[in-house]
Amino acid sequence: MPLHFKLPGHLSIDKLLLELEKQTRLDLVSQHFALKTFYDSFDWRLYRKNLICEYDQSRLSSTLFIKEVDSDKIIHSVQIDQVPSFADDFIQAELRELLRPLLDMRALMQITTLDYTHYQLHIHNSDAKTVLKMTLEHYDPIQSRVILDPVKGYDKALKRMSKLLSSLGLIPTQEPVLVDALKTQGRKPKDYSSKLNIKLAPDMRADIAVKYIYSHLLKTLKLNEQGVIADFDSEFLHDFRVAVRRTRTGLTQLKQVLPVAQTKRFSRYFSWLGQITSEPRDMDIYLLHFDTFKNYLPEAMKADLDPLYDFLVQKKRAVHAGLIDKLKSIDYYAPLIEWEDFIRSAAIKKPDETQALIPVKALADQRIWVIYKKVIKQASAIKEDARPSELHELRKTCKKLRYLMEFFQSLYPETTLKMLIRSLKEFQEILGTYQDLEIQQQTLKELGKEMYSQTESPQTLLAMGALIEALEKQKVETRSAFDERFNDFNQADNRTIFETLFKCGAA
Amino acid sequence: MKTIAAFNIKGGVGKTSTAVNLAFLASKQGFRTLVWDLDPQGASSYYFRIKPKIKGGSKNLVAGQLDLDDLIKGTDFEGLDLLPADFSFRNLDLILDGKKKPTERLQKLLAPLKHDYDLIFLDCPPTISLLSEAIFEAADVLLSPVIPTTLSQRTLEQLKVFLHDKKLKKLKLMPFFSMVDKRKKMHLDIMLTLPVQHPEMLDAYIPYASDIERMGSERMPLAAFSKNSTRSVQAYQALWQEISRLMNL
Repeated sequence: MPLHFKLPGHLSIDKLLLELEKQTRLDLVSQHFALKTFYDSFDWRLYRKNLICEYDQSRLSSTLFIKEVDSDKIIHSVQIDQVPSFADDFIQAELRELLRPLLDMRALMQITTLDYTHYQLHIHNSDAKTVLKMTLEHYDPIQSRVILDPVKGYDKALKRMSKLLSSLGLIPTQEPVLVDALKTQGRKPKDYSSKLNIKLAPDMRADIAVKYIYSHLLKTLKLNEQGVIADFDSEFLHDFRVAVRRTRTGLTQLKQVLPVAQTKRFSRYFSWLGQITSEPRDMDIYLLHFDTFKNYLPEAMKADLDPLYDFLVQKKRAVHAGLIDKLKSIDYYAPLIEWEDFIRSAAIKKPDETQALIPVKALADQRIWVIYKKVIKQASAIKEDARPSELHELRKTCKKLRYLMEFFQSLYPETTLKMLIRSLKEFQEILGTYQDLEIQQQTLKELGKEMYSQTESPQTLLAMGALIEALEKQKVETRSAFDERFNDFNQADNRTIFETLFKCGAA
Repeated sequence: MKTIAAFNIKGGVGKTSTAVNLAFLASKQGFRTLVWDLDPQGASSYYFRIKPKIKGGSKNLVAGQLDLDDLIKGTDFEGLDLLPADFSFRNLDLILDGKKKPTERLQKLLAPLKHDYDLIFLDCPPTISLLSEAIFEAADVLLSPVIPTTLSQRTLEQLKVFLHDKKLKKLKLMPFFSMVDKRKKMHLDIMLTLPVQHPEMLDAYIPYASDIERMGSERMPLAAFSKNSTRSVQAYQALWQEISRLMNL
């Protein structure tokens, strides 16, 4: 039995009320103006888990609802004056526990706002008993809605009303109001994801396909730009940096496809973007992992680390301000505009570059196969006494392989490629963790020097020293798992698939 | 889920008002509450404007052929539902008598509701019978309104003897004074002496008040139409507070 209906264009709320009054015992319980604001993380973490976060404000109350997308069932509701940015900022424990695993480090952001008139109606029987409750939501920019709220044990009243509404031309709907509201802005839910989803045809010209990939990455970069500047949460900068790195990988790995001069120039530009965002990202990582760091220390020492947190917050503020200056400078946006013009420009009919005209599938096979072989060669050369820099080089090669596989994934069987990417990801994890620990140790030493002149607490420096030691222990543990993880990635099945998928085309 | 039965052997002592008003207060506090109107007269159904009728009647209900949940009606108040009375409830004793372990029937019927409700109030008919025994088996608390008269005193004693004989260990008896008229000397005297003989008498009491009688014309719980400041609303609030404290709610 449908409970949600949309009003057709020809039927006004007044007309509907008049009809309902004629045909039922209707009581208008309340009527008031209200504001509905929808919240989610920038990458739709709630919606992806079938949840909508809706904040209803009126002069009567301000209530936050967590509802299921498909059933509109209220999972949680709470009266609050303000919606906090992060799950951890909710004082209501139940809500905090519900949102924390879903949102993680992402902030709740306003998606869209709708003002409307809310009508609460009760339908009575001859004993003046309420047998059905109804809500009318009158919107201007989208179709108004009727929501039926059945009273237990009065199914007939519900059926009668459903029939009556249909006869008046109302349309049953299961689509959330949010979807309608987004449509007015030319948007839809889940319209941002940090994951690459680029559809390519195997016989596309390589130069056109590559520009198409870059345009996707540029879109991601631009979508995150404002979030990086406003610093809503750490993941804007993360996704911005991933788009930068992916673009750079494209420019350095897909050579002889686009004109050499531009490729070199923009490669330098994206390398610069990587550099200027590096320190702010390091600060984010420190702050995000601070509790984990603390847990590495003995109980008595944990509190000694707190001054480091304050120091990091201050330092983050400073490096972020420096980043904003750079992102607002001509050094940032002028080349970016040129980059956009370049990737949007029409393909050259007879390009000089040797790889420009080959089918993109051939380019993909060739590059993935070459980089895959490099990964295996570098990884096989890692022995017990390998230097951290060797592991770092391998990590960078793995990233290149991963990005290439993601760029071109639509050219290969979906499940097989996803499986390969997953396997590579697991191998990358160990290299990433090792490198992060290495950098964290180095940075801690540098931070210690900076803090030495400023802090009056030698305990904090001692705690930082203990942390560096604890990180060393983690590093050794991580390093010891290398062979096992590499063997997993380099198992015979994977080798066969890599060969089957990429070697023939590469040849 | 806790079950509270409003019970007295005597009629007209305020059982229905007790069940309806306390259930309303409990639901206001956020307890998911159900009132089961077991009295064939259907007074609590009437107070909630719900027809005292059960499809299939009590025979099928007791036989377990009807799903109790399908018979429940939502009242006009959030978190408060009602299982209506049916005229066939007048024969409940006879029907129970024909069943195996008749006194356990009610408890079995209520068991599936334990996830849906925190509190169930049973509005019981004024009799001591097989049905009463089934109610005593099912209930955690026996809430018994007592008008401060000598006759009521006797029925309370009869009830205590009955409960003692049946060895109902789980059941907690909570008698309280109802329809108290402080202008009457006898009421005042009994209110002084009875708690000495029966220390389980609650401290809170319900006065005789015209607005409680008005529930019949308003057809809703007292606190839904009367101001919070009135004596009778406050009396029910105090009674509910005392009961919830004793029940550790």
